[in-house]
Parts: sequence; C-alpha cells; structure tokens
Amino acid sequence: MKRKIIDKLVAQSYKQNDLDEKKVNKIAALLSKSDLKRYINGLKLQDMKKSLIVSTPINNQDLKKFQKLFPNKKIAFTKDPSLMLGIRIVDNDMVYEFTLKNTLHKIISYMQENYD
Amino acid sequence: MIDNDKIIQTLEKKLMSFNNDAKTQNVGTVVKNTDGVIVASGLSKAIMGEIVLFKDGNSGTILNLDEDSVSIILLGVGSDIKEGDTLKTSGQMLGIEVSDELLGRVINVLGDPLDGKPKLKNGKNMPLEKIAAGVVDREPVNTPLKTGIKAIDSMIPIGRGQRELIIGDRQTGKTAIAIDTIINQKNNKKPVICIYVAIGQKQSTVAQVIDRLTKEGALSYSVVVLASASDQASLQYLAPYAGIAIAEYFLEKGKDVLVVFDDLTKHAWAYRQISLVLRRPAGREAYPGDIFYLHSRLLERSVKLNKQNGGGSITALPIIETQANDISAYIPTNVISITDGQIYLQADLFNSGIRPAINVGQSVSRVGGAAQTPAIKSVSGKLRLELAQYNSLAAFAQFGSELDSATQKQLDRGKRLTEILKQPQFAPLSESLEVLSIYAVTSGLMDDVAIESFLRFEKDMHEFAKKRYPNVLEKLSNEEKPTEDTLKQIKKLLEEFKKRFD
Repeated sequence: MKRKIIDKLVAQSYKQNDLDEKKVNKIAALLSKSDLKRYINGLKLQDMKKSLIVSTPINNQDLKKFQKLFPNKKIAFTKDPSLMLGIRIVDNDMVYEFTLKNTLHKIISYMQENYD
Repeated sequence: MIDNDKIIQTLEKKLMSFNNDAKTQNVGTVVKNTDGVIVASGLSKAIMGEIVLFKDGNSGTILNLDEDSVSIILLGVGSDIKEGDTLKTSGQMLGIEVSDELLGRVINVLGDPLDGKPKLKNGKNMPLEKIAAGVVDREPVNTPLKTGIKAIDSMIPIGRGQRELIIGDRQTGKTAIAIDTIINQKNNKKPVICIYVAIGQKQSTVAQVIDRLTKEGALSYSVVVLASASDQASLQYLAPYAGIAIAEYFLEKGKDVLVVFDDLTKHAWAYRQISLVLRRPAGREAYPGDIFYLHSRLLERSVKLNKQNGGGSITALPIIETQANDISAYIPTNVISITDGQIYLQADLFNSGIRPAINVGQSVSRVGGAAQTPAIKSVSGKLRLELAQYNSLAAFAQFGSELDSATQKQLDRGKRLTEILKQPQFAPLSESLEVLSIYAVTSGLMDDVAIESFLRFEKDMHEFAKKRYPNVLEKLSNEEKPTEDTLKQIKKLLEEFKKRFD
C-alpha cells in the first residue's frame, strides 16, 4: 500500500484529538502485516505530534498556562528532580530546556572550550 | 590573580546572557541500525551533512532526509546503538580542526591523532563539504609542480592547481610516483605542503609510506590522513574531503598544496557500500547515480587562485586502480573526464623493466604544458613524438627482418630515450639534472654509450657534473632556456666524462 494512503488512514483514525478505537480496529483488520507495521508507526508519530510533555522538579503545575501556550496538545506533566529549578518541554521532536542544570552545563562547556 | 578575575568576569557575563536563553534541541529516535547506517525518526529540523549526537557519545552525519525519517552514517563503531535510542542534532556541519601544527602528523578523518602525539588544540574548523572557488577567483595554471621524475616533468608536466590522474593496474608504481613527487618537494624554492590521503588501504602499506616519508625528511611538510581498510565505510567516504579541507586551510594562507588521494577506486567502493545500505537506487556496476558528482565536487576544489585571493594553489593527484588495464570501466572514465590529464601506468611495461611504467601514448597533461619551464621545454620538445614513433615502429619492426638505415636509427634513438627515462624509486631528480640527462640523449651525445650501461652512466655523470661543473647545473636550474654557451659546456662536460667512464 502506498505511503500516502497509510498517512490518510492515520489521519482518519482520529476523532478530534483522540484515537477512535472502532475505526482503528476496523482499519487494522484490513491491513497486511507490513502495512499494519507502517500504520502503527504512523499512529505513534501522530500521537507524538499531538502531545506535549512538561518536566519539572516539582509536582504542582498550572495546566491552563500551558494549554494557552500550546493549544490542541495533550499535555502530560512529569516530575524530574535532576533538572534543578526550571522546566523542560518536549514538543514532538523539539526539546525546550530552561533550567539551572542547562545553565551550569553551558558554563562548564564554555570553560572547557576556552581554558585548558 | 588576573586569571581568576578573568574567569569570574566571564562567568558573570555568561550568567547575564543566560537570563532569557532557553536551550532548544531537535531530538529523534533510532528506528533501525544497519551496518553503520542509522535510520531515525524525528529530527525535523535536521539539515544535510549536519552532525548528530547519540546518547552513548557516538556521532554521525546526515546523508538522507526523508519525509519522516533521516538516514545517518556513523562516525564511530556504534554497535551498541539500538532501536529506541535517542539522538539530537548538534547544529554543526562536519569539519576538521586544522592548524600549522598538523604538519608532520598522521591523523584520521575526524582529526584524531594516530601517531601517539597529543591532539591538536585551537585549530581552525574547516568544513569537509565546501563549494569550490569560482572562475573569478582563479587564474590559469602557470607554475610547474616538479615531480622529479624525468618522464613526467618532460612529457606530462604537472602545474600547480592541476588535477592529474595516476591510473593503472595494481603493482604498477602508482603510489611510488605520488610518494616521489612528495619527496621531491623538499628541493623546491617555494615550498609545497603535501597531504597524503590513504583510503581503504592496509595499515601496513601506509606504515611503509609514512616510514619512507620520515626517512626522506618529507614528513615535516606533509600530513597523512588515514582511513584504512579496517575503518568504517563512512570514514573511507569522508577521507578525501578531510584531505582537501586541510589543503584549503593552507590555501587560505596563500600556500601551494599537493594532495594525493590514494585511491579513489576504494573511495567509490565505500560510497557504493553506503548507498546500497541507504537503499539508494543502484546504477551501472551498482554505483549510485551521484557517483560522478562524488568525485567531481572533490576534484573541483583543487585550484590555482589569483593574486587578489592569495595566489595559493591545490594540486590534486588522484589515483585510480584499474582491473586488467581496463580504463574504460565506470570509475576510471569518470575520473579521466574530471581531471586535467592522466598518467597511465601499464603492467607489461613495468614487468619488462621500464620503470616508471608510463604509457606515453595514453598519458597526457592538458594544462601542464603552460606551466613547463623553458629549460625543460627546450630539451623535451620532440621527446614525446619521437617516443610515440618509436613505439609504433618497434611493434612493426618485430615482423620485418630488413630495415632501412633511417628506421634503424629511429629505433635506436627510441631505445635510448626509453632507457634514459627509466628512474629508480625514491630518487627524484632536480630540474638541472633532468635537463642534463634528456639533452645528453636527444642531442645524440650518448649515441656511442652502450644501452646496458645507461643507468650507471647517468648516475656517474650526475656525480661528475655536481663535482666538476656545478656552474653548468646552476645555469640549468635557473629555469631559463639554456644558451648556446651552456649547451657547449654540456657537450664539453659529456665528452670529458665519456673519456673517464669505462
């Protein structure tokens, strides 16, 4: 099956922002093994595009703030104490890091580059 | 104390600038790892040729950009990289750190030392891929690059900025010509920096080359870039680009550089291997469609810059290995068409004792003639023609028993010319000695010397000239056409020497 058709099937498998289980099962039943693999990969990629992971060292986060910044995204919060103040946002294949850890890393690499 | 203050000030500056500085990374996930080629999803912001970094410290460079995946060639071993591992873009293109300290060193494609000496620090990062200088920045080839090999300097002259292919079967002396050329550069008035790029060769062979360069004192102005047969195909593919990038560093400083690519056949094999793993469509001899561009974009970077741009030059001596003298195979024809001439070495000439085993009829230099010095031009004018005539007559004479005196004379002269152009390995000659040897034969002054003793005669004659007639050699080395007076002195020299020679 052509890649474009698989992409179309992936797009059709969603109802608003969530997967439509009925549709997915129906499509999956009709696909060959190799096409099914590509379909699953397509769903995974699509899911990644639609989700946003916010990592912080603490638990409480204001969901509304992020919903404003990233509309139409499924937002998930994770706790990561190693970040040392700040925040890391993973949006599909982009990672935005605004943390003290990052700042310290930058200082270290700057010093390594400029001083023996 | 000053240093401490400086460090703290820099830190403070850095901290100030960090206030609104969020780190942005483009990440991806490994989908497949096949024979050093990684397919990864994500990396939507990646660009061709960009370096990507893996979690385990490995790195790679992007060679394919697909709709939702990228293909990466690994620059390390990378056998531990598995499906699901994360990687990120670095924002940097592939480059190599170069400085003057690189001279005399043996390095790999990534600039890491292979000679046990410390790694180069604070060098300039030179990009491996770069668009070649345009026509406005260039000037025609006008300065000779002397190889010290009589047959080449007289009949197939190479100019600085030229691309001259050395082509032939295995064991015909291709590398020997390149090494002799490197060794000969130590005698130059204007020094030439040499870069020897070994691609897909046995490490023992390269060790021999390095040893020879060291013994001859040629390593001090040379750089050896090594991607041996045991290295990954990706490193073999990148090796010539690393070599030319190093050359470009010295070119920017207005220097003359010689780059030897030993050899581009193995380079094409490495690229074919990568392309097949990347699932690019295979064409003739299973090479990918862009195999011509692979070599043309590399060799186009050899250049003779005009004075406004520093006046430096990069001369390229690519080497191609043929199978059973077949120069009409895919890669040989490609590289022949790209270069400005070729030196064709033949196995049967080599086996019959003619060394360097240059086939004069099929060897050519398309631009080097303009760079030839008047001195050598004056003595080698008819050489090529006479040799070509001799070769055709020699083949014809095998069938006939009776030959007229003119043909006999021509055959005799041809034999003598062939004999005088023989030269042992690692013994490049200065231009004055080359002129002396060739003139001795073309003027008929050596007609009464037995052909069997030519080699000894020539060697002793050179010694004699150095001792007794240094002024003649000095006159011949000034690159000007020899005057009547100089020619008379050469005649005197030869007649005096012949009396002593037994």
